[in-house]
Amino acid sequence: MTVIVEDSIKEASASSSSTARVVWRLIGQYGTIAMLGLLIVTMTALEPSVFATSDNLVNVLNQSAIPAMIALGLTFPLVTGDFDLSIGNTASLSGVVACTLMRDVDMSIWMAISAAIMVGLVIGLVNGVVVTVLNVNSLVATLGVGTMAIGVNYKIAGGQPVGLSDSESFLEISLGTLLGIPYPVYIMIGFTAVLWLLLNRTVLGQSMQAVGGNPVAARLSGVRVERVRLVSFVICGAFAALTGVLLASRTGSAAVSGGDGYLLSAFAAAFFGSAVLRDGQFHIIGTLVGVITVAIGFNAIALTGMATYWQYLFQGLLLVLGVGVGSLARRRTAAT
Amino acid sequence: MSGTCSSEGAVTASRLEMTDISKRFGGLRAVDRVTISLRGGEVLALCGANGAGKSTLVRILAGVEHADSGQIALDGVPVVIDRPETAAHHGLSFVHQELNLVPKFTGLQNMAMGADRQSRLGLVATKRLRRLASEVQERLGYRIPLDVPVDRLSVSDRWMVSLGRCLMRSAKFVVLDEPTASFTDDEAEKLYKVIKELTDSGVGVLYISHRLEEVLEISDRVTVLRNGSVAGSYETAELTVSSLTKAIVGHEVEALAHRRGDASTGAPIRLSVRDLRRPPNVVGASFDLRRGEIVGVAGLVGSGRTELARLLIGADQAAGGEIILDGKPYAPRGPHDAIRAGVVLVPEERRSQALLLSESIERNLAVASHGSARHLMCRFRPRRSHRAAVDIVDELGIKTDGVTRPVLSLSGGNQQKVVVGNYLRTRPSVLVLDEPTVGVDVGSREEIYGIITGLAGAGASILVISSDFDELAVCDRVLVMRHGAIVAEVPSHRATKGHLTRLCFEAEQPAA
Repeated sequence: MTVIVEDSIKEASASSSSTARVVWRLIGQYGTIAMLGLLIVTMTALEPSVFATSDNLVNVLNQSAIPAMIALGLTFPLVTGDFDLSIGNTASLSGVVACTLMRDVDMSIWMAISAAIMVGLVIGLVNGVVVTVLNVNSLVATLGVGTMAIGVNYKIAGGQPVGLSDSESFLEISLGTLLGIPYPVYIMIGFTAVLWLLLNRTVLGQSMQAVGGNPVAARLSGVRVERVRLVSFVICGAFAALTGVLLASRTGSAAVSGGDGYLLSAFAAAFFGSAVLRDGQFHIIGTLVGVITVAIGFNAIALTGMATYWQYLFQGLLLVLGVGVGSLARRRTAAT
Repeated sequence: MSGTCSSEGAVTASRLEMTDISKRFGGLRAVDRVTISLRGGEVLALCGANGAGKSTLVRILAGVEHADSGQIALDGVPVVIDRPETAAHHGLSFVHQELNLVPKFTGLQNMAMGADRQSRLGLVATKRLRRLASEVQERLGYRIPLDVPVDRLSVSDRWMVSLGRCLMRSAKFVVLDEPTASFTDDEAEKLYKVIKELTDSGVGVLYISHRLEEVLEISDRVTVLRNGSVAGSYETAELTVSSLTKAIVGHEVEALAHRRGDASTGAPIRLSVRDLRRPPNVVGASFDLRRGEIVGVAGLVGSGRTELARLLIGADQAAGGEIILDGKPYAPRGPHDAIRAGVVLVPEERRSQALLLSESIERNLAVASHGSARHLMCRFRPRRSHRAAVDIVDELGIKTDGVTRPVLSLSGGNQQKVVVGNYLRTRPSVLVLDEPTVGVDVGSREEIYGIITGLAGAGASILVISSDFDELAVCDRVLVMRHGAIVAEVPSHRATKGHLTRLCFEAEQPAA
């Protein structure tokens, strides 16, 4: 009697533990996507006439473009296992550089933008050299380089916002539309595709992932680890600079610390994204999903008329939940 | 005043019994109705191929895993070990393969973590801990370096620190998991003495090892696991290496056949190393490696073997000397240059130096092909990479459900084959293998040597570094390294364990 009962209990517990594992695996892989889905469904139910409209969709995507650029760039150093804390300052500086060149030197828009992005490339290069050649921890190195960027920024702008008097064609980058969709949405989609290809379909991207997985193994397998890490900082710097330019083109003016706030939101999006469909690995689609989830959340907060401080609570909660649930799910999948 | 309770004499020999232990992972029976028993004062060896269930059994005993059924009893009293702390409370101690030491801490600081009460009034009780540690030293008859950070210690000393930590509280049973995997014979001898001291003081030792001679030398009894069940329990006295191997594998294993060295003596020289040096570890290495030849490198740990291997692939830069590869000067500035020139190193430490532990088998099989790519913007073709991975898995006989499975789902032997396969994808002409069979079971070891001889047959030149001199039987010639120089070359038929060991030590003989 007892034997039979014990056996059937064992069977039941064995099957329930394997069911539990499947459930946890699903939560681990799709939990973050489910959160996004839940948010969309709830908002559609609450505000069907305002939220679930194509105008609002375009609006959300448009809002996502700037944070997406900086977060997508940041994804590269994160993939190789480095941090870049200079991105916010780089974005601020590049906006100031672009506007100053247009206003004071009367440089053409495209030349000014190229110069601003060059600034980002140089900052990325300096970050990379300090990290790989001087062998300074990336957290410290990029904090230092970022602080120097603030200094340069104040030297150029004198602490004052750099506003353009005749800014129409510059504003066009952010405000112009094609087929009813603003340019920034195209920019976001285009660069997402390019960066996805770079990370997933080139030797460079695969090498970055190998370096992130085990730098010693990657090096002994012939991967030029220092070069790969350096390139990841350069990509990151360039995209931070692009973010700064787009930000300035929203208003035709570059605030001295306009890009600084994007540092933490980029990290939040990338880390949230690392729990999207993957086991804590940073990837392009994940980062984009992270950015869009935050944008939809902000949009929802605005539409329902909640106070602004909810934005911070939401973003923080999202990060903790997304990464925390993913990590818990991984442990459960491994344990049971 | 006299120290530990066990030194008062083993009046009541303690007894540890694991009865009918079963554990399933999904559909796989990792451990199936296994019964072992261990008395205080004896050494029970646990043998079996990788995946036979040894580790699972140990993890159950340690309270890390929970058995589905079965019972653990101490001195006849059933106990529930549900957490590592409970195991410690019952006097069970473990020295795992990963020693779990804090690298920057000294030996004493590391050992202190094993003590019951580490502090008094919130302050570290340094004096008491040091006294305890010196008691442990005395008991083991081994001078554990107490005041040196453990990352500066040799592998065997680190291991001793880890064992010492176990003994900081009264331990009735000690489980030693693959202790000598990277010990030299000399270091292993010292370990045997320590184990003797332990058993004399009444401690029961559960000893897990792939080295069968060692098992036969130090154990009193042997329990062999095969596919999760007990294949047999024996008194050590009735066993020989071949009968034990047979019990482990389930069928007769031929000893690794000696190769006939003359096959490749006429082949052209591929790699010629002249007076290569990087003091203090390599102070003058000269040798030739022919096409299709397998050359062994014997030497004690610390003799400069690994450092020589690193110079060959440019992982470190030589301070002097030259290398000629296929008639041309070869001076790699890094592993990338080496791999492009067809020279690869299968490194010593699988987990820390060769695998992306959180990645799939497929990804692990692709790293070297990325590393050998001409430039970084080359296209990566996932499907082609997948097919190549499937081919390698078939070719090397890697046992897995599929290449997208995590590499950690494989047994040690199969992980090692993945490491070798990763490098083989670049079609190397010179393959350097540093300790290719550490932590690999008997069956896989044979297969790995089969792969190596196959490669040599196909024209690759191979350098094998091994601390297990029996393995070097597969070589055409064996070079002996001592104090950073190659001091002897031994043809295949004379490369016996005794002869090589003597050559490794010769200069030190008077001192000993």
